[in-house]
Amino acid sequence: MASNKTVDIGKRMRLQEHLMKYFSFSAIVILIIAFSASQQNFLGKANLKTLLSDSAPLIIMSIGMTFILILGSIDLAMGSVCSVANVLTVMVLNDIGPSLSSPVLAAFLALVVSIIFGAFAGVIQGIIHVKLKVPSFIASLGFMSLWQSVALLITEAPVSVAKAMWPAIEWVKVTFGVIGLPLILALIGVAILYVIQNYTTIGRSLYSIGGNERASRIAGISVDKVKISLFVVSGICAALGGYFLAAKLRSSAPRVGDSFTLLIVAAVALGGTSLSGGRGGVLGTVLGVFTVSVIQNGMNFIGVDAYWQNIVFGLFVLAAVAISVDRSVRGLVVK
Amino acid sequence: MANTIDNKLLFSAKNIDKHYAATHALKGVELDVHEGEIVGLVGENGAGKSTLLKIIIGAESPTSGEMTMHGEPYDPKNPLDANANGIGMVFQEQSLIVSLTVGQNLFFGHEREFSKFGIINWPKVYKEAQQVLEEVDISNINPRKRVNELNFATRQMIEIAKVMNVTRQAGDQKCLILLDEPTSVLSETETKNLFVQMRKIAAKGHAVIFVSHRLDEVLEISDRIYVYKDGASVGMLDTKDASEIKLYEMMVGRTTSSEYYQIDKQSKPQEEVILEASDLGLAGIFKHINLKLHKGEILGVCGVVGSGKEEICEVLCGDEKPTSGELIIKGKKVNFSSPSKGLREGILMIPKERLFEGIVRTLSVQNNIALSNLKKLSKFSFVSAAKVKKQALHWIDQMRIKTNSPKELMIQLSGGNQQKVVFSRALASECDILILNHPTRGVDVGAKEEIYTLVREIAALGKAIILLGDTLDECIGMSNRVIVMKDGLITGEFDSGIYNKPSQVDVVSLMM
Repeated sequence: MASNKTVDIGKRMRLQEHLMKYFSFSAIVILIIAFSASQQNFLGKANLKTLLSDSAPLIIMSIGMTFILILGSIDLAMGSVCSVANVLTVMVLNDIGPSLSSPVLAAFLALVVSIIFGAFAGVIQGIIHVKLKVPSFIASLGFMSLWQSVALLITEAPVSVAKAMWPAIEWVKVTFGVIGLPLILALIGVAILYVIQNYTTIGRSLYSIGGNERASRIAGISVDKVKISLFVVSGICAALGGYFLAAKLRSSAPRVGDSFTLLIVAAVALGGTSLSGGRGGVLGTVLGVFTVSVIQNGMNFIGVDAYWQNIVFGLFVLAAVAISVDRSVRGLVVK
Repeated sequence: MANTIDNKLLFSAKNIDKHYAATHALKGVELDVHEGEIVGLVGENGAGKSTLLKIIIGAESPTSGEMTMHGEPYDPKNPLDANANGIGMVFQEQSLIVSLTVGQNLFFGHEREFSKFGIINWPKVYKEAQQVLEEVDISNINPRKRVNELNFATRQMIEIAKVMNVTRQAGDQKCLILLDEPTSVLSETETKNLFVQMRKIAAKGHAVIFVSHRLDEVLEISDRIYVYKDGASVGMLDTKDASEIKLYEMMVGRTTSSEYYQIDKQSKPQEEVILEASDLGLAGIFKHINLKLHKGEILGVCGVVGSGKEEICEVLCGDEKPTSGELIIKGKKVNFSSPSKGLREGILMIPKERLFEGIVRTLSVQNNIALSNLKKLSKFSFVSAAKVKKQALHWIDQMRIKTNSPKELMIQLSGGNQQKVVFSRALASECDILILNHPTRGVDVGAKEEIYTLVREIAALGKAIILLGDTLDECIGMSNRVIVMKDGLITGEFDSGIYNKPSQVDVVSLMM
């Protein structure tokens, strides 16, 4: 029955997917041409380096969010989890670091602490969303506010990383040509999540749950377990973003993550992941991040006011979601 | 019954054709309805009755053909348009908003008529609602009552009242009311009451189109009967010339159902009990359920909507936790908290609502087939793409699934082929117990037969099956044994061997 309609829907879904795929790619090309035509040094080595290294934390966080959006959920707490991880990192470096034998060990300890915190944040958010059936939108909104306060309670004012601990964050400056170590690490993260997404049972379940949670449950997939695990992944990604930012800024910044929430959603949506769930992937997100970075960098380059920049990103999110959303599904877009 | 055919023609449809890509759903269908007439439409599932109703009410448009209403050309853009022309429909799925009151439902979308400066005059709404209810003789219902406090029969009457009211606003012309399976949720006395109301409506010169699977009802209430088969009208009878046997022959083109359900292939169940429920209960839904399921057995569960049979399926597959009693599978006491736990013990359900519970439409055919046994196709939780594809190709071939490639999106398949994918997935999971919840729902006749063959084969392999049939006929025809449920209790059990199938009447008498 109704196969005409279904064929059309199938075609439309494919078309939408292609549109989204090439949307961010062509946006990057057009933006780069436009910026470099109007600004001589836009494609200079110095700016290229800034552009690429700036995108590393955003990549790490956005790929975590990609999984959550494919599930059909959303994690608005990523920015504030990033903030908490950021202040924790600096706290570990400054308070515990000096008592350890080497700054590298301190860097490692801070990394472990961040990851554990990120995983913890993901687990409790996942459990509250899955077991208590609180929509992820609300659950993460609650945690966003909660972690924002925790970050400020730990460190009210930004604290610089003590000079003795600078070796612990030197890695952030290592570069190979225009490509910095942070970007390489971020891309390794992308590779890991790409493998999880495409080649593991959890990754395949991710798509089926995002496509139809009820059917996946009836088919015998451990929906709750998969969802919680993926919230753990996004929590860890958010925490790693905070760790990267601590190294890059050489200081704690308890509000650093706030502005990332919108950027992350913008990047993932521009990268072709459907907010209705079931479609998209981390590779598209990398393109989405570069689109966002080019816009951000370009606007900084030509001196657009920061407040105006947020207007631009707001519009970009709306446009990207409007293109990608599956209007044939009734009901809530975000579960 | 009055000889209504001499009355003025109210509605007519000529040469209605409807194509959906590959499917030719309606082939030159004809239908005439006169004022004051009750016309019955009968046909198997997929014969085109629902499509025809959807076209009349304006929810779908015909590929070709003409319709007239009150002698004027009639081409509704949408159901509102149809209402304006005096045609209203009570849908199979109830369309009342249960959290609102009866009065609010009756005038839903028409609140403006009762409001002044944007403030709704509720006393006026309820006063008029009372009058509307009196029209259909259910004046004993307080229009301020919420719909969810009422039983299904009353809700049905309210729907009819609502449709009458909406259509009457077209003016004082005669209206046409479409009733799609209105009796499926009603008890016998409620049905009788409904028929009395239908007669009253017809006596006022309005016309009713009545669709039901129950031939006896159609024979009782209609003046004339149209019979459809595979999207075409195969005949029109005056009710006085019709009988159940005659209608059945016209509908299926066969005199008996035994070959349809391949009863000769029905295999004998083994001795071994694979699933046993003792005193199983789910608070407020069903209780004291005792049943034994043997290897190779098809156990049919019959009952009306709300009898608790659907919920039993949900409890058995692990989707819902029972509140009392115990479940023993292969001699082991089990306690499922989710269907994934059930799957581990070898029990899986093929759900009723294919689109919402059965398939993931954004995934490919091969990924849908691999849904339930992904773990078996992986090593150290890395999925082997080659195995997923190989498995899909195997089932596409075995089940004759029509698809261009295993990578085609699920949404591009027809209903019957989607259902075959769902079956493939269930079989690939290698479960020993399958719960088939309306396995032939919404698939065409050809696919239906293939599914029956398949179910027979599965049973012959020694798998145990719990079957909720789409029709009572199907449930009895396919099963080795039938249990009957009513109001959450098992009210009877019948052997249903090849030569001793229980009669539908006997089964129905325990359902109602």
